Amino acid sequence: MLTAALRKELLLQWRSRAQFMAVFVFGAAALLLFSFAVGPVAELLRQFSAGFLWLGLLLSSTLTLAESFHAEMENRAMEGLLLLPANPRALYYGKAIANWLQLTLLGIALIPVMVVLYDAGTMRIPMLILVIALGTAGLSAPGTLYAAMTAQVRSKQTLLPLLLFPLIVPALLASVKATSLIILGDPMNQLRSWIVLLASFDAIYWSLCGLLFGYVVEE
Amino acid sequence: MNGMIPGGWGFVVAAYSVTAIVLAVYGASVIARLRNEINRRTHD
Amino acid sequence: MHVDNNRFPRLPWIILGIGILFLAIGSYIGLFVAPPEALMGQVQRIMYVHVPTAWNALLALTFAFVCAVIFLFKSDWKWDARMEAAIEVGVVLGFLLCCQGSIWAKPTWGVWWDWDPRLTTTAVLVFAFLGILALRKFVEDPGRRAIWSAVATIIASVDVPIVYYSVRWWNSLHQLQSSPSTVSRQFWLPLRMNAFGILFLMTAFIMLRARVASMRLAQELVPPPAVGENV
Repeated sequence: MLTAALRKELLLQWRSRAQFMAVFVFGAAALLLFSFAVGPVAELLRQFSAGFLWLGLLLSSTLTLAESFHAEMENRAMEGLLLLPANPRALYYGKAIANWLQLTLLGIALIPVMVVLYDAGTMRIPMLILVIALGTAGLSAPGTLYAAMTAQVRSKQTLLPLLLFPLIVPALLASVKATSLIILGDPMNQLRSWIVLLASFDAIYWSLCGLLFGYVVEE
Repeated sequence: MNGMIPGGWGFVVAAYSVTAIVLAVYGASVIARLRNEINRRTHD
Repeated sequence: MHVDNNRFPRLPWIILGIGILFLAIGSYIGLFVAPPEALMGQVQRIMYVHVPTAWNALLALTFAFVCAVIFLFKSDWKWDARMEAAIEVGVVLGFLLCCQGSIWAKPTWGVWWDWDPRLTTTAVLVFAFLGILALRKFVEDPGRRAIWSAVATIIASVDVPIVYYSVRWWNSLHQLQSSPSTVSRQFWLPLRMNAFGILFLMTAFIMLRARVASMRLAQELVPPPAVGENV
């Protein structure tokens, strides 16, 4: 049930990979804009590079998430999906995982942009990828739920970020902090605790949102 | 007698005034909306 | 369809009156009778409104959470009305809290915001619940509106302690700024009076606002005479 939903989602995303490119360009442009906003001060840029990366990811995520229910809304397919034996939870987790994968890929794709623009290189790439994966998981869980809600409403473009941003503050804080420690150095070994915080946040949200999704799509 | 922070009164007055104003304005808004609903009801 | 719950129509007004009275007396004592504090001087007096507002803002939003849960289980419209009221009142009190906190921060720390975990969490909270109010405005179908905002309220409420702990952690790594000090025992009277004052005010506001919401709902749930279809 879940694998079928997941497979469908991944197929949908593969078909719209041009859209992924567009979102990547958006993210990279955002990172560029941040450097213009701050000025060509190398030390400052390097110091805030983690923050910029995550802000760029967050802004890009609103585009990705809003798109994720587009197919369903276009063809009124949502009702069709729910009539199938698959339960809403499978639909939710399928979409949430697909969104998560897309955002993680986006994050990884933005790493070289960050390295170049902000001189924010690091040797600890696997760690960085882990943090990106955990952080985007924190974005994807509530994001997918709210995307489902707002897809069916007017003013969806404003409502989705409005609802999502306050909720992901902890994920943002932890991800930025962890990324910062990876890039700038971690003398007091705090990285582990931030990763644990991120992981717990993810656990809470992935379970809670999955539980509540049924209410969001029932007729 | 006054402690280490000089000229506190201005801020104290500001805080209490903001409190009073926000509560009063919100209260008035709720009451106005309630009157509106009651009037609409009696006219339907 | 009768959604109203008007068993005691005068009650909110009585509570409102008592609240105003308590708040007036408590504030008077806090402003003119209580002595200034040793370290903070006159600025300490702000605590006599700030702390009660904090308690009640939290209470309002906790009540909103309870209403949301009850609504999802019972599907009774009056809980949706109460939830809407509680959220709105909670947002107003939260906003007020941020104003008071900012006014307190300026003389104390020299800046308009001190990233205190409680204040920062309140700011995030205000945005979160404002978003839920916005959601309610944009969803026309009352059933969906109620269910969705209940779900959103539950998620936002669960988020509150998480935000608080993350900000506390995040903050502790940067500066060691202490939170507003608790009031020492001899100054409890204005604090308690204001706490009850704002409690009664808040209760009255929620009751009246819930009435507004109920009446609007009653209006919405009546099917229009010409078209027989439901909303």
